[in-house]
Amino acid sequence: MTVIAFILRRCMLLVLVLIAVSVLTFAIVNVLPGDVATAVLGDMATPQMVEAVRERMGLGQPLPDRYFAWVAGILHGDFGRSLQHGQAIAPMLLGRLGNSAILGGITLAIAAPLSILLGVLAALRPGGVMDRVISGFAVGTHALPEYVIGLLAILAFSIWLPLLPGSSLMDPNENPLSRPEALILPIGVLVIGMLAIISQVTRVGMIQALASPYVRTATLKGLPRWKVVMKHALPNVLPPTVTEIGMYFGYVIGGLVVVETLFSYAGIGQMMTNAVSYRDIPTIQAGVLVVAAAYGIGNLCADVAALVLNPRLRG
Amino acid sequence: MNAEPQAIAEDTMPAFSSEPTLEVIGVSITYGSDAGGLKAVRDVSFRIAPGEAYGLIGESGSGKSSLAYAVLRHVPAGRVTGRIMLRGQDVMEMSPQALAAARGRIVSMVYQDPMSALNPAIKVGEQIAEVVRRHRKADRKAAWARAVTLLGQVQLPHPDEIAHRYPHQLSGGQQQRVVIAMGLACDPDLLVMDEPTTGLDVTTEAVILDLVNDLRRALGVAVLFISHNMGVVAQVCDRVGVLYAGQLVEEGSTAQVLRAPRHPYTIGLMNALPTINRAQARLADIPGRLPDLRQVPEACVFAPRCASVQKGCTTAIPALETVGPGHRTRCFERDRIVRAMAPPAEAEAVAEEATGKPLLQIVGVERSFGRMPRLNLPFLRQRRPVRAVDDVTLDIPRGRTLAVVGESGSGKSTLARCVAGLLPPNAGDILLEDSVIRPMVQNRTRPEQRAIQFIFQNPDAALNPHWTVEAIVGRPLKLHGLAHWSADLRARVVELLDAVKLGQRYLDRYPHQLSGGEKQRVSIARAFAAEPRLVICDEPTSALDISVQAAILNQLRDLQERHGTSYLFISHDLGVVRHIAHRVAIMRHGRIVESGTPAEVFGAPQHPYTQALIAAIPTLERKRRGAEPDTTRIMA
Repeated sequence: MTVIAFILRRCMLLVLVLIAVSVLTFAIVNVLPGDVATAVLGDMATPQMVEAVRERMGLGQPLPDRYFAWVAGILHGDFGRSLQHGQAIAPMLLGRLGNSAILGGITLAIAAPLSILLGVLAALRPGGVMDRVISGFAVGTHALPEYVIGLLAILAFSIWLPLLPGSSLMDPNENPLSRPEALILPIGVLVIGMLAIISQVTRVGMIQALASPYVRTATLKGLPRWKVVMKHALPNVLPPTVTEIGMYFGYVIGGLVVVETLFSYAGIGQMMTNAVSYRDIPTIQAGVLVVAAAYGIGNLCADVAALVLNPRLRG
Repeated sequence: MNAEPQAIAEDTMPAFSSEPTLEVIGVSITYGSDAGGLKAVRDVSFRIAPGEAYGLIGESGSGKSSLAYAVLRHVPAGRVTGRIMLRGQDVMEMSPQALAAARGRIVSMVYQDPMSALNPAIKVGEQIAEVVRRHRKADRKAAWARAVTLLGQVQLPHPDEIAHRYPHQLSGGQQQRVVIAMGLACDPDLLVMDEPTTGLDVTTEAVILDLVNDLRRALGVAVLFISHNMGVVAQVCDRVGVLYAGQLVEEGSTAQVLRAPRHPYTIGLMNALPTINRAQARLADIPGRLPDLRQVPEACVFAPRCASVQKGCTTAIPALETVGPGHRTRCFERDRIVRAMAPPAEAEAVAEEATGKPLLQIVGVERSFGRMPRLNLPFLRQRRPVRAVDDVTLDIPRGRTLAVVGESGSGKSTLARCVAGLLPPNAGDILLEDSVIRPMVQNRTRPEQRAIQFIFQNPDAALNPHWTVEAIVGRPLKLHGLAHWSADLRARVVELLDAVKLGQRYLDRYPHQLSGGEKQRVSIARAFAAEPRLVICDEPTSALDISVQAAILNQLRDLQERHGTSYLFISHDLGVVRHIAHRVAIMRHGRIVESGTPAEVFGAPQHPYTQALIAAIPTLERKRRGAEPDTTRIMA
């Protein structure tokens, strides 16, 4: 089985998953008690207004027809219109997705190598000073919710020490990269949140690997310690770590609800929060689908990376 | 290869005039704190001349592996005292840099389990080449070329292609060749081999031993060879040291020690060894167990188990005394003991054919693993089914033992599991006293369940660690309603424990408080508690030491004679089978290739595979097979 065949097979599975997700989101939203139009307009709506909205949303047609019309639209890049803003969802979604990708991408690029490094350092002497500091920090931060860390960060770095902006609010057309100082705090909070699990997964794997017979072989070949750790132990430790990172990929794309809201960052998580409070159903559906795709692609990347790292899986 | 070829005549000792490659002087290894520490190795001294092969024989707990790793100063949990001189330099005194420079260049290691010793994530060629780069300052290309050359030297076919493979893509024998090539990469002076063939099949083992001999002759590398198998040591080593409980008890040339041993322990080991040449009625086991190495008495450490023990043996530690040229033994009674060889009489009480109907019949049993997916979807993985057992028909006579022999992957354990009802066969029937029984054990009737019991290979995994011996052995008694009141139950359990020579004092013990042999005795007692008609023994002694194995095999024979129980005995060890079987079936690739009485099968094997198996057994006499080092052989 080659890697290409594996990727193709997984892509097909990903498509199946997305179809299932689209059916589920569509079904849940439309099966919910109460008419969608009523839900949108609220209690004060007159029957005429409800009828008008129903007409506009095509709610009169049978469910399967509406589902296929929706899917056909998505395949043409049309996610429908936002009920809240009245404009097409696709361009807005794209912009938000880009913002989230910038935030998440930078977070991953910092957190993944950093947490692997910390995990390896902690594993070199289990129970040593380094291990206690790193693991203590990991466990401590993991016990704190993101918003606590975020609020503490704002308190410390933009109120007590007014170094960084406490809000990352920007113009809709502004590129976040043009204001890097506004990104530092949200990224810092996210990185700290990710360090805990990834570094501990790496640490446990590394302790096991360092006790393994093949590491003994490498040592008794006369190889220097750093080479034994980096070349012989690390590649065998990485697959579970990479899987863990892959899980975070979907999270940083679509799950940054707390951090984006806290810092008023115009990402997809914030968009979803707003859409939910305004009952903007087409936007919710589009958002869920995109986030599901991000999780799927993240896992796919992780599995491919694990395959590349672990020759045994390649067969 | 730039080492000058050095001819080593067999069975002659190399001259000691030159500086020894390795000299171990008064080495002790202690695990744990000083006072209550485990004194695993005590005051061991020996030397290995350049190009010499020295064998260290010992059972588990003898300290042989600790010594082997101490030569490379790799005893992470232990404390080593004494001197280990490698080409005149003390390994224990080396700086970390000097030590790292010596490892892989002056001394290198070959491991017991090549699969786990090789890094699963790195190509085997690179694993060899990196040693060359490390110690020879060679560039990548030259190092890779050297790796390919080495793979050719250990007689792997298409070495340039093998070099690009990962360990899991090679067979066990091929992996061990890679480990040997890795060890030889920088022309070391000494190769430490820690049970290098223990995990391999007997035919693969024979080929690897030949390879070691060929390479030794061609490269002149000295070898420290660790093994529990005296036959294997006899194939490779010039001189042999016997370790017992951390002490060297006997040392001499291979011929002296293995053919004319002068220490009661060595003699006991030789007599406990089942061989295919003699089918003596009883093996001579060594009673007792290893002493507690935390408190070693000022006495002969073997005295509690020794048959020739005298008063003086328990009051002073005997020294290693010379009894012949180069032959030393640590025994006060060295001049009075002689090897009491078990009579080679053909005490074959086996000869008479089983009469009457067989107890159990296996008729056309088939079992495959993995099956074709019903839907051939492009994203479903496709597996080819493997036929583990392929149309096997066998009879197990009443009160007799049928042994099924095969190498790993032959399907012998699968067959045992099918008979036991742990795995349903795909086809075929199992008949108990002429009536077909259900394939799965949970669907069989109580009497049928009771009639067939199982003894597993690994007693550690087969006993519930949370139960006492009484609960373990009493369970089948309660299950089958053989004892109702608790006093009655306890009496029966004691009776069973007595039958396996454990006795009442074991009732309240837990499995972790027992030695390997004791655990296996508990397994046997449990199997016999149900008063079975058939006991399936799946490699019951392969995890045990030779001296313990002998006792267990004797036990099984005694119980069979007393209760008329039939055995289905699964084994890879032809010596053990020769000793215990009344009928033998040789299994290969799921099929029975030959069957008959042991005398027929071992005396005049018909099938070429049986002949190859028998020829491959390492015996105490050194065999010579195709001697030229550059002969390319077919892969095992």
